[in-house]
Amino acid sequence: MKGTFRGGVHPSHKSKNPTRGVKTREYVSDTVKIIMNMNIGAPAKPCVKKGDQVRVGQVIGEAQGFMSVPVHASVSGTVLAVEPIPYLTEAPSMAVTIQNDFRDEWVELNPLGDVEHVDPALVIPAIQNAGICGMGGACFPTHVKLSLKPDQKCDTIIVNGAECETHLTADHRLMLENSRRIVDGLRAVMRALDVKNGVIAIEDNKPDAIAAMKQASFGRQGVKVRPLRTKYPQGGEKQLIEAITGRQVPSGGLPIQVNVVVLNVGTCAAIADAIIDGKPLISRITTITGCVRKPSNLRLRIGTLVEDLIGECGGFSEDAGKIVFGGAMTGLPIPNTAVPIAKATNGVVVYNKRDGASVEEGPCIRCGKCVSVCPIGLNPFQIKAAADADDLEKCKALHVMDCILCGSCSFDCPSRRWLTASFKNAKQKITLQAKKAAAAQQGGTAK
Amino acid sequence: MSLILSSAPHIRTGNTTARLMGNVLIALAPCAAAGVYFFGLRAAIVLAVSTASAVLAEFVWQKLARQKVRISDLSAAVTGLLIGLIVSPTVPWWTVMIGSFFAIIVVKQLFGGVGDNFLNPALAARAVLLASWPTRLTSHPAVGFNVVDTASSATPLASMKGISLNDLLFGQVGGAIGETCKIAILVGLLYLLITRTISWRIPVITVGSAFLFNLAVSGSLNDSITCILSGGLLFGAVFMATDYATSPMQSYAQTIYSVLIGVITVVIRRWGVYPEGVTYAILIANIVAPLLDRFIPQKIYGVTGKKKEVKA
Amino acid sequence: MSTAEKKQGLGKVFMNGILDENPTFRLVLGTCPTLATTTSATNGFGMGLSVTFVLLCSNIVISLLRKFIPDKVRIPSFIVVIAAFVTILKLLLQAYVPSLYSSLGIFLPLIVVNCIILARAEAFASKHPVVESAVDGLGMGLGFTIALTLIGSIREILGSGSIFGIGIFGDSFEPMLILVLASGGFLSYGILLGIINAITNHNRKAKLEKGEN
Repeated sequence: MKGTFRGGVHPSHKSKNPTRGVKTREYVSDTVKIIMNMNIGAPAKPCVKKGDQVRVGQVIGEAQGFMSVPVHASVSGTVLAVEPIPYLTEAPSMAVTIQNDFRDEWVELNPLGDVEHVDPALVIPAIQNAGICGMGGACFPTHVKLSLKPDQKCDTIIVNGAECETHLTADHRLMLENSRRIVDGLRAVMRALDVKNGVIAIEDNKPDAIAAMKQASFGRQGVKVRPLRTKYPQGGEKQLIEAITGRQVPSGGLPIQVNVVVLNVGTCAAIADAIIDGKPLISRITTITGCVRKPSNLRLRIGTLVEDLIGECGGFSEDAGKIVFGGAMTGLPIPNTAVPIAKATNGVVVYNKRDGASVEEGPCIRCGKCVSVCPIGLNPFQIKAAADADDLEKCKALHVMDCILCGSCSFDCPSRRWLTASFKNAKQKITLQAKKAAAAQQGGTAK
Repeated sequence: MSLILSSAPHIRTGNTTARLMGNVLIALAPCAAAGVYFFGLRAAIVLAVSTASAVLAEFVWQKLARQKVRISDLSAAVTGLLIGLIVSPTVPWWTVMIGSFFAIIVVKQLFGGVGDNFLNPALAARAVLLASWPTRLTSHPAVGFNVVDTASSATPLASMKGISLNDLLFGQVGGAIGETCKIAILVGLLYLLITRTISWRIPVITVGSAFLFNLAVSGSLNDSITCILSGGLLFGAVFMATDYATSPMQSYAQTIYSVLIGVITVVIRRWGVYPEGVTYAILIANIVAPLLDRFIPQKIYGVTGKKKEVKA
Repeated sequence: MSTAEKKQGLGKVFMNGILDENPTFRLVLGTCPTLATTTSATNGFGMGLSVTFVLLCSNIVISLLRKFIPDKVRIPSFIVVIAAFVTILKLLLQAYVPSLYSSLGIFLPLIVVNCIILARAEAFASKHPVVESAVDGLGMGLGFTIALTLIGSIREILGSGSIFGIGIFGDSFEPMLILVLASGGFLSYGILLGIINAITNHNRKAKLEKGEN
């Protein structure tokens, strides 16, 4: 039985990933720039200064509170600068630049040993200390997700190996090359939360990954592999939960409200590394594809600059028009190539000038394709009209806040309308409004 | 180096408005070809005039209104061709021309252009023509391979008896240019479904509900089969009821909309003064469509009646 | 000086009814007779003149009585006055123009409840002196007449191929029947309204641009 969900699209670009069969190789650059606000929540605070010698795995940014994870040096060497650099966010991000000495000296590691015998109480703190956050793209601190409140119960942990995004094969490669570690990570979390049920969900266009994960999970208690129908956005958290468990996360709620926790395969492997080897999260697999001469899957140190990794992939094959972090459906465009990759950067896709050009919006012909593909069941064309009129109340009434910004409606729109972009905008405005209202109320009661 | 910054998604489907409309034109081609084959040159002239004048009307209007000229999206061509296909081959060329002008300018552009019209332009034009020149529109030539200048029978539905199913399927009956050959319509439907231009829901449920309703009120299987194969029901269900702008978008709403068309068609045919009711059935359903979309609750992921739980 | 001012004022009041506040095209009042009686230019013209007659007379009488009518019963009083004149008109038409009388049919007695007449009584005649009220009634009535004749002519030309009953296209012309049907009334009225709004907007814009320059 293959799980799936309602709606969705089939971008044809998925089947022709040039990096599908390409083995991951290691690449370490001369310098790395490690930014401090990779995770959702409070950014880390730099705790090194210019001229310091650092070793691999040394904490260079301290976590600020519960909604935060520490940042570790991904190479050994000298700190060249601690300064804000322009990043994908509006405001510049604080970053630590390290000159690599290529000695690869590690800090003293503190392994906890085999995942089946580790003390469950030590798992979640180890995850936080290793700086692990969701590696599928959102970068939500993993220990926060796993720290259940007393009234919350988890009965299923889903490992997201769907990789439904276009262009990307990083998770696919990880599942083939590091299958045991993914299962180890899942087991560690299952023991930590005392959960009997662990499901590894993989789209059926990756039969080799399904086979590899089945083999790796053979004999492991409570771990199952479930193939999913290949359809975008199958890897969306809510869609995945519906496909596997048949439950729907309530509007505005979190997966834990239906007793589910979803972890990315990369996150699971990082958890295993943190428990078994005591190693913090300092590297990840990233797919580099599009207009580069040698599309590759690279194991990169966190903080590798885009220009360096493009060089490693043989340089641009055409004039680059747009470079995107992530896949084609949800990826974020970057302003220049001096930007470093972060813990959640699962892909770097280069478009040429023609494909990267912004498309012109035509009039809505009311074909209803957006309605039929919306995995949430919204009316994108109506929300778009309300968003264009800046009518936030109407947007809210039309459930814009339930939109997962998957991009399916924009993708399928024959008139090339910027549906997803305007929903993102409207959601930001509504969130800002709510924050302001809350602040005003608080100010009022304080008086 | 400056990079383009634009919002996700960074890829779009190959289906542009022009391609979807092109698909409809291709799907209409078998009907048009069958019409010309059965009715001869006159049909070809009617089709050419209706299509050309619709495109011309759109072009002139958009020039005069200083709008961007969008005739290349082919929606005007589709409207024009549809008008030609739903009139009798004997209508004079100026009639279809007026029909095309009315469809494009009054029904489509005055309400805001493509996507904003609340009635199917081609059907509204047919309704206007039917009210204006009733005898011109309802005198259908007897079909044969002869030239059809003089031979003119009563409306096909009025003299339905004695026509075999075979004749109905292959178009050996009188009627409008495009709607006589059911096989050609089915070929067009197949093409539209394969290219995912339309979904199966509206055409299948429309025809199905007409069949079942007719079966329920007449009790005769033969009569019901004749009912769905005669007149413009099949053509209307495939090409008219599925018009993007005037059909509902939600699947439940589409189902109700289609049933409405099927039932009203049979009601008009059996108990109305007109022999054919598809045009009015679809126009009535067009008017109801926005209400259906509005009042039939959507199923939104994670949104249930119990809202309080979410907040807790 | 005062007479000149008054004259200009009267001219303005008169033109107001014909252009700026044309009851049919700008105020969209009395749409029921507008749609129902404009199947031909003659009918439209006849209806327009009938309304003008009632409007003129009722405006004069109501203006004369405006100080004697108690505020609380003003609407019934207006209706009584209007109904009296409609009765007179009905009898006159029946006697002298029976063909028009029969083609206007029920819409003739329905003038009693015509919005335009009541609206002018309420909004104008009950607040202004006799001469101005008369001029207003005449202006509004003529504006209505012009509009109805215009719509009637268009519907008659296209729908019957004639104007004021005189055929103009010859026998080969096939009239567009829908225009003399009810739906044709809506279509032609709507399109004319649209055109007039478009022209007004265009003129206003042009004026604004001129003013800015």
